Amino acid sequence: MDIFFILALIFIAASGLCSIVRQYQMLQQNSYYISRYLKWVFPFYRTRLIFDVIFALGASALLFFKLNIPAFILAVIIFGFRLNTAIKTQKKSVKALALTARVKRLFVTAFLAAAGLVVLGVFVPYTYLISVFAGMLSPLLTLICRILNSPIEALVNAWYINDAKRIIKAHKDLIVIGVTGSYGKTTTKFILTRILSEKFNVMCTPHSFNTPMGVVRTIRTMLKPQTQIFVCEMGAKEVGNINEVCVIAKPHHGMITSVGPQHLETFKSIENVYKTKFELEEHVKKAGGMLFANGDSAEISRQLDRDCKIYGTSPNFEYYADNISYGKFGSSFTVHIKDIEIDLTTKLLGLHSIIDIIGAVALAYELGVSPDDIKYAVASLKPAEHRLEMKPFNKGSLLIDDAYNSNPEGCLEAVRVLGSFDGMKKVVVTPGLIELGEKEYECNFNLGLEAAKNADIIILVGINRSKPMADAVKTTDFPQENLYIAASFKEAMDIYNRFADGNTVVLFENDLPDNYLN
Amino acid sequence: MKTNVAVFYGCRSVEHEVSIISAVQAMRAIDRDKYAVTPVYVTKNGEMYTGDSLFTIEEYRNLPELLKKSKKVYFVREGDNVLMRDIEKKPFKKDVATVIDVAFPVVHGTNCEDGTIQGFFEYLNLPYVGCDIISSAVGMDKAVFKDVLKNAGLPTLDCITFRAREYVAEKEAICKKIAKEVGFPLIVKPVNLGSSVGITKVNTENELDSAIMLAISFADKVLVEKAITSLREINCSVLGNADECEASVCEEPFMNDEILSYEDKYMGNSKNGGQSKGMASLGRKIPADLSEEKSNEIRALACKIFKAIGANGVVRIDFMIDTSTDTVYANEINTIPGSLAFYLWEATGVKYTELINRMIDLAFRRQRGRENITYTIDTNILSGVSFGTKGAKGAKM
Repeated sequence: MDIFFILALIFIAASGLCSIVRQYQMLQQNSYYISRYLKWVFPFYRTRLIFDVIFALGASALLFFKLNIPAFILAVIIFGFRLNTAIKTQKKSVKALALTARVKRLFVTAFLAAAGLVVLGVFVPYTYLISVFAGMLSPLLTLICRILNSPIEALVNAWYINDAKRIIKAHKDLIVIGVTGSYGKTTTKFILTRILSEKFNVMCTPHSFNTPMGVVRTIRTMLKPQTQIFVCEMGAKEVGNINEVCVIAKPHHGMITSVGPQHLETFKSIENVYKTKFELEEHVKKAGGMLFANGDSAEISRQLDRDCKIYGTSPNFEYYADNISYGKFGSSFTVHIKDIEIDLTTKLLGLHSIIDIIGAVALAYELGVSPDDIKYAVASLKPAEHRLEMKPFNKGSLLIDDAYNSNPEGCLEAVRVLGSFDGMKKVVVTPGLIELGEKEYECNFNLGLEAAKNADIIILVGINRSKPMADAVKTTDFPQENLYIAASFKEAMDIYNRFADGNTVVLFENDLPDNYLN
Repeated sequence: MKTNVAVFYGCRSVEHEVSIISAVQAMRAIDRDKYAVTPVYVTKNGEMYTGDSLFTIEEYRNLPELLKKSKKVYFVREGDNVLMRDIEKKPFKKDVATVIDVAFPVVHGTNCEDGTIQGFFEYLNLPYVGCDIISSAVGMDKAVFKDVLKNAGLPTLDCITFRAREYVAEKEAICKKIAKEVGFPLIVKPVNLGSSVGITKVNTENELDSAIMLAISFADKVLVEKAITSLREINCSVLGNADECEASVCEEPFMNDEILSYEDKYMGNSKNGGQSKGMASLGRKIPADLSEEKSNEIRALACKIFKAIGANGVVRIDFMIDTSTDTVYANEINTIPGSLAFYLWEATGVKYTELINRMIDLAFRRQRGRENITYTIDTNILSGVSFGTKGAKGAKM
């Protein structure tokens, strides 16, 4: 046996290991779902695949014709390139591979698989062809390892799930609240946790941890003996997902913030989304608890006869808010709960936030948080960054920063919020919406119409990009001298600074540079 | 799964032994269905010990033996938890760490009750029972306490304060000033000691110097105030936080030696060979023999004082009534009162166990309030900073 033959196989296996880092990173970011990972692989890997196949064929051919030294040199060169790429991509990556226990196990498998492929290729005639291809085509090696590890992972997961169930069971007096919904569940979770914290030791799932394993991890690492209430966000992408989380977390009370057309590619129909969200109902009923649902969500309002507590903005609901107004102070509104009224103010703007607050207030009130505590907690809520966030701005003016909003419906709502700042000079600065495909023109046109209706001054950013909005504004009786089109954000600011004063409110809508405040 | 309460007591303080008594009592009263209790005995030189023997008061008679039976520990934050770890690691033995959920300081006096131990807990970001750093510190310094009360328009006697060095340098001038501005009889106190240590009532100018010299031996700062000749002492406890609090019934301690001395408070029974029971065993009348009106006046005043210093948990405030004018003055506050003033709360209808439950709930409540306030900014403004050859070049912020 030629030493260079063995070395060639070793270097090919090693280059496979180098490339697998990137593959594992993508596997991890696709939550280890093979299907989602493959969806990433095909578009992004197509061009590289051709090269890799060519190299694999080349290396195989060299080995086949016993040209072991050239094969070895080729293997070393490929190894060098791949090592370099692997290091560079990990350094540059926004979200690098997290070295979790699972990833470590995958690396062990990859190492064993690579070693196995070398041994196989060396001792069994012609199997080196398999070794070369598996080593060169890193997605193939990734899939092999992912599949080899699945029985182990299933066991590990089962152990963690059981451990989480045991902890929940041992926590006799713990109240668990499940929060789900197509939109608004993360915001509602944080608001609810904040209000409940006035009276209880509350813990919630962090960030948007809402999968069964995310919830398991929260329970195992964050639940403290003094925790009285656990607010658990529950996410769903397929029918049955909410049920899976409920079996672990055992919710006593539930809240459904909305049912909408999200993840339709996996849910197939809106009816399935509805069914999945209401999987919560059965568990809450069993525990003798309360289920709250947002009556303003169109899908939920269609079946109001269900046995749950409805909240929203209609006086027909059990819990509702009215007197909604906006101003320099933020939003103010009155929540009606049975016979009592609670006047609230908050820094959060927009109807969506207010509806989330109503739901959280309703549940917190039912759990015994006093109106005074609710008032204080709501007043101290903080908006998420760049989401209708109010800030002091140039020349004493007020900025509503909605730069991260890229949802057409949300943009229209933001402009309406601006419109309700009565008695102030209302300015909107926006480059419009992008990446909306065939609907892009229509969405921007609508945004332009809404802006004309609500703003006193419109500054559009980007001469070509903002054309649909400008067209829309020109169809209305909006005074043309108050419509400005700026070539850049900087120019837009120069225009703005000309008339900004203490009585000006400006909305930054969507996709403005991150560092525009500098 | 029970919440683990670490009870801290002892410490480098003249009231070390009193603290042991208060703590052992408290540990016995903690609700064991809800809480696990970890005793943390802090020796006079600041070492910390834990162990089951520390639950029994008799064990403290032989301290070296008790420490031998206990483990020396330290406290450290690791991730989401505060851990108690063994200092002495035994080879081949697993390093055991206990998660502490809340600290319960039952310490009296300087170097602990005055904000020192509270600072230690704050540093660990560990929820703790009772007053925070500022209110503890204000409560410990009798002169600062009076200033805070005066600022809030609450009644307290005027006083003269001076430092030890100042006194030694200008003895005569200071004595003359005291005689002129305060007059006799008067009371001399070190500003920062509880439990009446170092306090003397002075009737004539001749006794003044020795009284001040005694006070100086306990503290750097001395306070002199008028002695009320027709005096009643009334104490009242307050439970709650700066948002809402309630006052207990009032008590009137019996006076043996004109002012309640250290011996009265803590050694009353020990002379008879029985074990000391701390404040709870002191001669006193509960509730104090007061008109309902007067009692309500004092209780309302107690709550105002509690809020003025921003206290938390349970405190005991000592008042003086000048019976000749029927005027009430706040004298001092104990931010961690002896025996946690449980005897006043039992007389008010709150059982000791319930009192402790409420104190621990208040600790978590304060912690929650703090977690809702932003203390750190998540982005690292140093991420773009480097020290170049020409010195520091800051990132553009």
